[in-house]
Amino acid sequence: MAASLPISVGVKPAPVSATVFTPSKASTTSIRLPLQFMVVGLLALFTGTGWLVAQPDILAVSRYTPGAVAVTHLFVLGWLCSVVMGAVYQLVPVALETKLHSERLAQWQFVFHILGFVGMVFMFQTWNMKWVGYFGTVLTLGVVLFIYNIARTLGHVPKWNVIATGVVSALTWLLLTITAGLFLVAGQRGYVPVLQFNPIAAMNAHAHLGAVGFFTMLIVGVSYKLVPMFTLSEIQNHGRATASIVLLNVGLIGLFAGILLQQPWKLVFVLVIVAALTLYGWELRTILRARKRRALDWGVMYFLTALVMLFPLSALAVVLCWPSLPANQFTGQLETVYGFLGFIGFVSFAILGMLYKIIPFLIWFGIYSKHIGRSQVPALADMYSAPLQAAGYWTFLAGLLATAMAPLFASVTGVRAGCGLLVLSLVIFAMNVGKILSHYFRPKLTPLGVNRTTTRTAP
Amino acid sequence: MTANPPTEAAILEALHQVIDPEINCNIVDLGLIYSVVITNGVVKVTMTLTTPGCPMHESISWGVKNALSGLEGAKDVEVEIVWDPPWNPSMMTEAGRAITGCR
Repeated sequence: MAASLPISVGVKPAPVSATVFTPSKASTTSIRLPLQFMVVGLLALFTGTGWLVAQPDILAVSRYTPGAVAVTHLFVLGWLCSVVMGAVYQLVPVALETKLHSERLAQWQFVFHILGFVGMVFMFQTWNMKWVGYFGTVLTLGVVLFIYNIARTLGHVPKWNVIATGVVSALTWLLLTITAGLFLVAGQRGYVPVLQFNPIAAMNAHAHLGAVGFFTMLIVGVSYKLVPMFTLSEIQNHGRATASIVLLNVGLIGLFAGILLQQPWKLVFVLVIVAALTLYGWELRTILRARKRRALDWGVMYFLTALVMLFPLSALAVVLCWPSLPANQFTGQLETVYGFLGFIGFVSFAILGMLYKIIPFLIWFGIYSKHIGRSQVPALADMYSAPLQAAGYWTFLAGLLATAMAPLFASVTGVRAGCGLLVLSLVIFAMNVGKILSHYFRPKLTPLGVNRTTTRTAP
Repeated sequence: MTANPPTEAAILEALHQVIDPEINCNIVDLGLIYSVVITNGVVKVTMTLTTPGCPMHESISWGVKNALSGLEGAKDVEVEIVWDPPWNPSMMTEAGRAITGCR
C-alpha cells in the first residue's frame, strides 16, 4: 500500500475530468415506456371513478347494462391492464434478471391498446357490438404483441423459478381472456351460432379468466419476488409457493368450465382456488415473519390490505357458486359487490401500493442513477410524502367499504359518497405522484461531504 | 509525478457516499462491501446486494465506480458483484441496523 491520503480526499467531489459511469441503457427498459402506460391507466381510473360519481345507479341498481359493461371495461382495460402492462415491461426483466425483448414492439402495443380500449368503451356504451368487435380486434393485436414480447423476454431467463411460472400462467390466461371476449362479441353478432352458451354465464366465465387468471395470478407470482425484496426476506418454502400457482391454474380451468356450462361442480373448483390462495397467504405470512426490515412502509401496507380483501372475496365466491342459490335481486347485488371488491378492493388497491414502489423507482433511475457516487442523491422514500400516503390509504379504504356496501341496499347516495371518497383518495395519490415527478424537472442533488444523518455514519 | 494509490480508509469513506435508495442506507453500513483490494492503483471492490435481481443492481455498482474513480491515485476501478455468501442483516454495522431498523 502507498502512503495514507488525508481522509478528506474520500469526500471530495469527483473532478470534472473523472470518468463518469452510468447504467447501461441496453439492459434496462427506458422509463418512458412504463410511465406512459401508467399515466394512461391513472387517467382511466379517474374517469371511471368520476363516471360512477356522476351515474351511481350503474353500481347501485343496474347490472349488465351498457353503462355497467362500458365502465367495467374502462376500469379493467383502461386502468388495470394499462398499469399492469407498463409494470410488466419494467418489472419482469428486473425480477427475472434479463432484459426486455423489444421496446419498439411495446410502443406499438401501446398505440393498439389505447385505440382498442377507448373504442371499446365508447361502443359498449352505445351497445354497438359490431364496432366493439373491431376495436376488440385492435386491442387483441396489441395483447398478442405484449405476450410475444414478454414470452421472448422469458426465453432469456437464466434460471427458471416460481415467479417465471406465475408470469407465464398469467400471460396464457390473458390470451384466453381476450379470445373468450372476442367469442362473446361474435356470439352476440350471431357469427358463431355453435356457441349456444347462456350469455350471462359466458360473460362471468370471461370475467373470471381475466380476474383470476391474469390479475390474481400476476399479483401472486410477482409478489413472491417483490414482497421479500421490499421487506428484506426470502421465500421460505418453494414447494408451497409453487403449489399455490399450480392450484390456481387447476382451479381456474375447472371454474371456467363450470361457470360456462352452469354446472354445480364449479363449487369444487372455487374451493381449489381458495386452497391456492390459502397456501399463498400462508407463504406470504411466513415470508413476512422472517423479514429483517421491521417497519412496513405504506406501499407494502396498501398491498397487504388488498390481500385481506381475498377473505370476503373467497367467502362471496363460495356463496355465489352454491348449487341451490336462488337467482334473485339480492344475489345479483352480491355479484356486484363481488366484482367491485375484486377489481377495486383487491387488484386496484394492490396496484396502487406497488405504484408507490414503481413510480419513484422509475424517476429515480432516470434522473439520479447517473449521479450516484458523484453527488448525494435522495432515497426513494424522500421523493414522496408518507402523511399523504397515509391519508390516501384511509380515504381509499373508507371509499371502498362505502361503495362496496351501497349496492346491498341499492343506495345511489352510498355509491356516490363512496366513489367521491375514492376520487378524493386518487387526488391525494396524484399529489404524491406530482411530488415524485417534480424530481424529473428539478432534481434534488446535494454535494458530497454534506452529512445525511439518515443514511450515513462516520466511518 | 505519480500519485500514491488511495488508502483503504479513503476508499471506504468514498463508498459511504453510495446509498441503496430503496433501503435508504449507505452500502458500507449495509454490509454490502466484502473486500477492497488495491493493486498498482487499480481498486477492485468485491460486493453484494441485498437481493439477486435487485432493480438497483446497475445503479449501485456504477455508483461505486463513480465514487472511487474520483479518488486521487485510483487508476481504475473494478466492481465484482457476488452472491456467495448471500447478504444477511448480521453483516450490517450497528449504525446500519439503527438507520434501517433491521433486526
